[in-house]
Amino acid sequence: MICKPYWGRNKVSATKTTILLLLSVVFFFGLAVETASAQKRFSRNFDASRNVRLTLTNRSGTVIVEGWNRNQINITASMESPTANIQPEEINGTIYVNLIRDNQGRGEVGNVNFQIRVPFNAMVDIETKIGNLSVSNVSGGLVRAHISLEGDITLTNIGASSVAAENVTGDIFFDGEIQDGGNYRFSSMKGNINIRIPFNSSFKLVATAPSTRDISLGSFTNTSLNYVGDGRRVIGRFGEGSATLSVTNQRGSIAFIRR
Amino acid sequence: MDSDLEETKASEVRAHLAVCMDCAAVCEDFAAIVDASHLDETADLLPPNSQALWCRINNLIESEIRPEAPAVEPPKRRLWQLSFSQMAAGFVGIAVISSLLTIVGIKNYTQPAADDFTTRSASTQTTFEKIAGKLGLMETPQQARERRIRQQQAAIAYWNDRVQSRREQWDKNMRDAFDRNLSTIDQAVNEYTLILQKDPQDDLSGEMLDSAMTEKMNLLREFSDL
Repeated sequence: MICKPYWGRNKVSATKTTILLLLSVVFFFGLAVETASAQKRFSRNFDASRNVRLTLTNRSGTVIVEGWNRNQINITASMESPTANIQPEEINGTIYVNLIRDNQGRGEVGNVNFQIRVPFNAMVDIETKIGNLSVSNVSGGLVRAHISLEGDITLTNIGASSVAAENVTGDIFFDGEIQDGGNYRFSSMKGNINIRIPFNSSFKLVATAPSTRDISLGSFTNTSLNYVGDGRRVIGRFGEGSATLSVTNQRGSIAFIRR
Repeated sequence: MDSDLEETKASEVRAHLAVCMDCAAVCEDFAAIVDASHLDETADLLPPNSQALWCRINNLIESEIRPEAPAVEPPKRRLWQLSFSQMAAGFVGIAVISSLLTIVGIKNYTQPAADDFTTRSASTQTTFEKIAGKLGLMETPQQARERRIRQQQAAIAYWNDRVQSRREQWDKNMRDAFDRNLSTIDQAVNEYTLILQKDPQDDLSGEMLDSAMTEKMNLLREFSDL
């Protein structure tokens, strides 16, 4: 029986381990480089007037819009491969970002995830085909979030007098003030719609959930709000009925939460 | 006159005329007539336009000759000959029909066709609308809904054709998401259609069906040029 010296076996094993470690390092660096090359970034700033409006049309990806205390709009985007073209433009105080127009005729375009900061009093109009939309800390005249297919819409700390949120599949959450004389519209085909508003709000309500009949008024239950159509719709007034609130969920639930 | 009498007779006549004023006047008249008849030129006696004068005289004469009266025909019976009460009833009828037509015209003009069955649902119909609907003068909410659905189906078919020609250019994720969500909308459409087949008076389901169809149409249109 021939036996190798102990120290010799250890040396071979150490060499193998070193090689494996080196290969692992090379592999992970390679992956990181590949990822870095697939993810491109876009960033641009625009000086904003007092009543600036942002109009963004995405194709697929997440859009996050936040209000900040600066008269400036900052747009940052991370783009997955195949990289989309982004050509924002400013026309008469409105910032337009339209990825459908900028990538017309291109078959496949990777997700584009936006992180945008706007002045508190900006008007925000965003839409996408697929992906989540989120808007927070905005009190301008308008907040509109539209998802053509699927994705969640989250509107937090909103003080706009005109708000619209609509998707086909996905949840909608609104947290904000109901302004007197304002107009608020939430519409989904399949998902849950949750409205979180102050108890001193004043609005006329039409809430319809025909399939589930799941309409929860919570603290807002009163004698002026009535269930009609075998519980498929709630119609009536809360407070003075100053604002107009329309909520439709074809195959999901509607809930009101006290803020 | 004209020396027709013998001298003795003539002397007696002259003597008489000298003392009798009446006979003297008659004699002077005769003498004037006889003198005028002896004049050669008669132009002074003719009127300025004797031809026109005769024409006027002829006309007067002819007008005084009455034409022969035509044979009197028995009076015909007029079809529209109505009594006072019949005429009054006719006027009232015309006024009512005119008012109805005006109201229908105004309603058709002021109400957009797209909203007619939601704004004129069975529960919100006036008595007049219900009667007009039964008489066929006005669309019932069900008829309006069916017409609206046919229009939407035609639009959906058009946009769907365009989408089918474009969808091969989308990536797989987009195609799958599109099909999933279109299926969700179709489920809602089928659900409301079934409910309406059982209860055509269910206005809420009619409204929701319209909403779902509109959503489907908008989705197809939006993706037709992607």
